[in-house]
Amino acid sequence: MIKGLLALIAVVGLALMSCGEAAAQKGTAPAILAGPLAKLDIKPAQIDTARGTPKGTLTVAMHFALDPGWLDVLEHSYAVTQQMYDYLVHDAMIKPMPYGYVTYGLAEQAELAADFRRAAFRLRPGLKFHDGQPVTAADVKWTYENFKGAYAKVFHDKLEYVQIPDDRTIVFHFKEPFIDFMDLYNGGVSGIGWIVPKHYYEKVGRDGFKARPIGAGPYKLVSQQAGVQMVFEAFEDYWRRSPATKTIVVKGVRDLTARMAGLQTGELDLAFGMTGKLMPRLMADANLRWDPNFTGPWWLIFPGYNESGNPFRDKRVRQAISLAINRSFLVKQETQGIGKPWGNWISPENRDALQGAEAPVPEYNVEKAKQLMAQAGVPDGFEFEYVPFPPYFDMGERILTDLRAIGLRGKMQTLEGPAFRAKIGQGRKGFPGNRTIAQNIDPRAGGAKANVAVYAVCGSSASFVCEPQIEALWTKHQASLDQQERERLIKAIQRILLDEYYFVPIYWNPFVHAVGPRVLPEGRAVSRYWDTLNAPYPWPWEIWEVKADR
Amino acid sequence: MKKYVLVRALYSVVTLWLLVTIIFGLVRLTGDPVAMKAEAGADAAYVAQLKSDWGLDRPLHWQYLGFVGRLLRGDFGHSFEKSLPVRDIYFERLPNSLKLGFAAFVISVVLGVPLGMLSALKVNSGWDNAGKMVALLGLSMPGFFVGLVLIIVFGINLGWLPVLGKGPSTFVWSMPSTWMPFWFRDWAYLAMPAFALGWYFSGAMLRITRSGMLDVLGSDYIKLVRLKGVPERMVVAKHALKNSMIPVLTFAGLNLLIMVNVAVVIEVIFNWPGVGQLLYDALSNRDFPMVQGVVLMSGLMIVVLNFTIDVLYGYVDPRIRLSR
Amino acid sequence: MATIPIGAGPTITAQRVARRRYRVFFRNAPIVPLLIVTVLALVAVLAPVIAPHGKLDPVKPTQDRCLAKYGTADCPYVDNVPPFWAHGGTLDTPLGTDFLGRDVLSRLMYGASISLVVALTGTLFAGAIGTVLGVLAGYMGKWWDQIIMRITDAWLTLPSLVFAILLSSVRGPGLWNVVLILALVFWSRYSRAVRAEVLAIREREFVKLAEINGIGKLTIIWRHIIPNVMNTVMVLFSLQVGVAVIIEASLSFLGVGVPPPEPSWGLMMAQERESLMEGRWWLAVFPGACITMLVLSANMLGDWLRVRLDPQLRNR
Repeated sequence: MIKGLLALIAVVGLALMSCGEAAAQKGTAPAILAGPLAKLDIKPAQIDTARGTPKGTLTVAMHFALDPGWLDVLEHSYAVTQQMYDYLVHDAMIKPMPYGYVTYGLAEQAELAADFRRAAFRLRPGLKFHDGQPVTAADVKWTYENFKGAYAKVFHDKLEYVQIPDDRTIVFHFKEPFIDFMDLYNGGVSGIGWIVPKHYYEKVGRDGFKARPIGAGPYKLVSQQAGVQMVFEAFEDYWRRSPATKTIVVKGVRDLTARMAGLQTGELDLAFGMTGKLMPRLMADANLRWDPNFTGPWWLIFPGYNESGNPFRDKRVRQAISLAINRSFLVKQETQGIGKPWGNWISPENRDALQGAEAPVPEYNVEKAKQLMAQAGVPDGFEFEYVPFPPYFDMGERILTDLRAIGLRGKMQTLEGPAFRAKIGQGRKGFPGNRTIAQNIDPRAGGAKANVAVYAVCGSSASFVCEPQIEALWTKHQASLDQQERERLIKAIQRILLDEYYFVPIYWNPFVHAVGPRVLPEGRAVSRYWDTLNAPYPWPWEIWEVKADR
Repeated sequence: MKKYVLVRALYSVVTLWLLVTIIFGLVRLTGDPVAMKAEAGADAAYVAQLKSDWGLDRPLHWQYLGFVGRLLRGDFGHSFEKSLPVRDIYFERLPNSLKLGFAAFVISVVLGVPLGMLSALKVNSGWDNAGKMVALLGLSMPGFFVGLVLIIVFGINLGWLPVLGKGPSTFVWSMPSTWMPFWFRDWAYLAMPAFALGWYFSGAMLRITRSGMLDVLGSDYIKLVRLKGVPERMVVAKHALKNSMIPVLTFAGLNLLIMVNVAVVIEVIFNWPGVGQLLYDALSNRDFPMVQGVVLMSGLMIVVLNFTIDVLYGYVDPRIRLSR
Repeated sequence: MATIPIGAGPTITAQRVARRRYRVFFRNAPIVPLLIVTVLALVAVLAPVIAPHGKLDPVKPTQDRCLAKYGTADCPYVDNVPPFWAHGGTLDTPLGTDFLGRDVLSRLMYGASISLVVALTGTLFAGAIGTVLGVLAGYMGKWWDQIIMRITDAWLTLPSLVFAILLSSVRGPGLWNVVLILALVFWSRYSRAVRAEVLAIREREFVKLAEINGIGKLTIIWRHIIPNVMNTVMVLFSLQVGVAVIIEASLSFLGVGVPPPEPSWGLMMAQERESLMEGRWWLAVFPGACITMLVLSANMLGDWLRVRLDPQLRNR
């Protein structure tokens, strides 16, 4: 009898222990949503969370004039560069960090129902805005409902209603299955997840918020000279950690030689976009360190290729172009060998992107290219217009030289940055004429499907490709609720684009960043600042360390 | 005199109105700012919202009337790119451009005027040619080249001068205590850009001084002074120099304004936060209100200055001063 | 010569005198600037004949040059070769090669034609427009004067950058854009000076005589006014040519000038300014030296012309 009782106690004890373990593994929080949940891949961020005293000043140079409007996340644009400010002044529910595409930010728990009609978040306890007010679910709801930026229409159209069970929990109910919700809500993709303080915005209004924004991020805006400079100071009550650097000064320095000069005299500590002819100087300077910071691959587009009279209509011509580009030499000349010749037009850091053996680097074979041109009926080549991606005009000239070897004589059309992006955004309409090749790069996050949705489907205004095969696959993709089938379909679409040479990839671009001697840690360990996946800029900012001011 | 002043004022108003209309039309020909802000992948709703936010969906004549109406109230609108009021941004930058312009003007006078005088006194001699060479050399090299060489030599290699921006001192319109110190602080940041810009304009200064002096030296008045036996040095210093300063000063005022507007290249190379860079950024982004605002403000300054010079000339000329 | 019509008298006298003066005219001309301008003009015209290599294509490299630079026997081009007097230079490309292996000397020669064409035609168009408007304003007076002068005043305040961006977005970037920009921006400089000149000429006797004789306004303008403002116009023209070259360089620096790969000097300088930082000074300095020579010469010629053509200063 006693033996039986002991055994019962042992069994019950074991059961209780395992239950306790299970409970401990799940954390103290129970599930918010009832019913089966979709599998999400959201991790905690892996960064050092020591709380020290912020010290020193970090001076950062952006490669164009600063836009004060970027501090207002409620009108978040499509431009990826706005995220630079997002990570400084604001914080998002979920966002890319080392080492996840999606990591927990303001939210400590995120759930998506298996039927994709409900999504829930729980905020961490004790979150504060810069003015000391707490971050509540009401702010999250208000931000969602008042969001006017990129993808606003999608978010508003699909929303049925928002439920706030308590101060820290919020549940979104959708009219129909919203399978892309978590992908789009990710701070790295759209601005709706970056939370704006409702009380403050309503008090100061839109103009007031743009002039003096407040957020839940690690830095507060202290002063700005519109377009020239912004000064930020550490917000020591930031929930994740107190930032390591006390002051961050962001300057707009549009000229490459000016950025280089600033780094070498010590007036700048971090500069972006140090590519091209100055890279040898950068690499030779013992005082400076650099990170390759791979963003996305370059690729060539053929606007209007499927119209009659367009010489690029013939697949053999497009293939000849791909064969004629000497990628390895190009990479050596343009990027000192750092760049990687690539076989796909979507960055491998994006989910579901073809890479490696699935998308091998196209070969370089000028003879074969000439043969193909002859087969296509244009053995002597023809003239065309080439629109390079500003300001990489040197690279454009190198490619033109390669193409001249097979008889294609290109005339370069140089545009300024905004004008070029406007043309790309307008798709076929942006490039009148039927003999144009454009060179593009687009390191957007959100998975390979985001790139496909913009550049490869008939419905997108920016798209240059409209093929029934791809449309059929895409329609299936949009209707499907199965992640694995979706992945298969997206990869099939990429396969078609590459096999038919609708896009010609060139190389994976290193958007080199350089740091000066004042940035810690010393030596090559500084490259840890670029560990966030799928991010063209080094964030988060709260881990940046510099030597203390003299 | 009164009629003269009134007529001149009327001319200024007409010129300004012409400028307003011309820039309104020109800027709208440069492209579509909505397409520039909305990147690839933007949906139609976002684009439409931008358009309505910026007032570009209304018919052209309504835009024009609205624009002129707001102008008369002093409202230049909100910058498309920077989202803040144009007037605030412009006036924040203006002191920087004026500082650079003043400094460059001083340098151009210091370089150009003595060389011009020398050149006039010893016409067609070796001195004349040497002086002309030095000043004209500044005119013959593109500003970005001079600037870059200065940056490389004095900024990077020797490390004597900073290469970026204008330094920490700011001119805050609402705080008079910042007004005076602003012009004299951070001269280390000012040195290279001002020299590059000033050297360029010293050629013009030399020419004006030279031709002014030559005109005066050949005039009857000077012949009379010489006949009276006044020593040559006195002739030059007291009489010729004073009278030839008038065209220099006239041109100087105008030159100052032109410098403020023309210094784009220098501002880009040295990252000097002036009005030129503001205009360049605004044009790149087809920021209509900002381009209109910058061009109109510069035009206003030039027109006002011209008006003032005309009135001063009219006052100095007794024929006009004493007329009805 | 038969009977001389009264109205045409002074002009014919002026013409005879001008022909005799022609030989005396160039007496004190500055030799060096004149020589430089002539040489540059000749190079510009003869570039396709005398340039050792092409203007757009890289120089075909020899095997040992490829080996020396890249370690492979075959390479598309050898870039950044220094001038022949430096270590690694060769007489085949005496002034070196640029980042695409193109011969700098050949590109400078072709660039001469581009820079000269742009500067000369741009200034010519500006001069033509400005002179016509200035003459009309000065001679016709009244409403012509008011309207043209108000427009000129307004136009003077417009920055050239506005036109640069406008044209490059409307027409796409190109060489003729720069010419148009120069014409559109600089005509206003001419019209003011010409108008002042015309106001003085209008009071001269031979003009008054022509008017009394009932000669049509257009004829008077063509026969009397325009030849006599030519002095001013020529001086302005020679001075503006230098400005035009510099403006072209600045526009290329800002990205709205002559587009690559055309070898305009301004563009070569702008593109290679990073090489200047890298220590490969020759890539930016040689085009810079060409620009400086051209502008200096044009300016000195212009100054000399002004003294030469000014009746008061002529005897100094």
